[in-house]
Amino acid sequence: MQQSRVDRQPAYVLHTQPYRETSLLVEVLTRDYGRFTLVARGARRPRSDLRGLLLPFQPLQLAWFGKGELRTLHTADWRGGVPQFAGARLVTGFYLNELVLRLAARDDPSPALFKLYDRAVRSLVDHALTATVLRRFELALLEELGYAPALTQDHLAQAIAPQARYLCRFGAAPELTDGEQAPRGAANVSGATLVALAAADFEQPQTRREARLLLRLLLDELLGPEPLASRELLTTLYALSD
Amino acid sequence: MKNPPSLDQLIAALKVLPGVGPKSAQRMAFHLLQRDKAGADKLARALDRALLNLRHCERCHTFSETPLCNVCADDKRRQEVLCVVEMPADLLMLEQTRCYDGLYFVLMGRLSPMDGVGPKDIDLERLIARACDGVVAEVIVATNFTAEGEVTAHLIAEMLKAQGLKVTRIARGMPVGGELEYVDPGTLAQAMYERRTLS
Repeated sequence: MQQSRVDRQPAYVLHTQPYRETSLLVEVLTRDYGRFTLVARGARRPRSDLRGLLLPFQPLQLAWFGKGELRTLHTADWRGGVPQFAGARLVTGFYLNELVLRLAARDDPSPALFKLYDRAVRSLVDHALTATVLRRFELALLEELGYAPALTQDHLAQAIAPQARYLCRFGAAPELTDGEQAPRGAANVSGATLVALAAADFEQPQTRREARLLLRLLLDELLGPEPLASRELLTTLYALSD
Repeated sequence: MKNPPSLDQLIAALKVLPGVGPKSAQRMAFHLLQRDKAGADKLARALDRALLNLRHCERCHTFSETPLCNVCADDKRRQEVLCVVEMPADLLMLEQTRCYDGLYFVLMGRLSPMDGVGPKDIDLERLIARACDGVVAEVIVATNFTAEGEVTAHLIAEMLKAQGLKVTRIARGMPVGGELEYVDPGTLAQAMYERRTLS
């Protein structure tokens, strides 16, 4: 069984939880094997070297063995380059992790998703505008999951007109509208925003504002009724800074 | 063959402990009943007494038999500094260090967005009320340096700063007596990122 051992796989820790006396269950996102759970034996011992390694938002290189539900961590190596997240950046990071954990299927290898996640984490470090990082990640995540919104043609197969307004719904092409209102389950956005999204251009504040509404609508459809804890936390923090 | 109901109830009761599954619970039950009846009696009484007598300290929220715990009741301690920790075990560890003579607040938990534990699930209102008593001048946030501890620290800091209080965080870096050669890369990297000016 040569295949049951995997070496030197780029990975991120999404979440950890205590397991038995001294071990840790580690939810990881790997480049070539997707998202799954590893057991890190002895990782909770007081002097375990893994304590300073198995941290979220840190680029790691993992080796593990075993197949099936629960695999066993063999080694974890530090790849570095990302300071520990703190403050608002940390809450944003939790939001990324919650999205990946809730939406990416287990054991569904997706190097593209890994690349997206990796880029989002590193952009947060580079002090890029958080809103841009998040919208870019949300849109690309939807595309990667196969739920990319239609951004170039309306429901009558006409090209999107930048100066017009559209009603967008999950799984449907944008529909021309003449009002500013949006019925339940739809987002009212400008053609210009749709065109900008199709080009992944988040320069304009209006694009970011409308994209937030649209992407939230689409993600909520996939996430179901249970709210995202990190989003509630962000709301609490925003309320404090006002 | 089926177990008698009271044995089954004991096994089920032992399963509430973290990390104890059906097999371990059964082993514990047999041990208590067969090998160590005196110990079982002691355990039952201790549990009974603890449930009856223990409550949370009115000021710091840690476990106490009196309305005020002995730390909060000690008027020789500095009243103007308040140290926030996650669990009573953290308070005990800080007391062992003999480095701090102020007062404490024990959160009895932490935020953990990935487990669905949000701001409403820990008693932050109580902390705000305690910190805003007019005497406290500095709040030291000593939550763990895990992602969960850090996010808890951030929320506490934002809430208390909004109330106009001075908020500090315990430092992180190389362990005392640590040699660079033997420290883990994560710790060393963070010590480098958080380096300070020597004066």
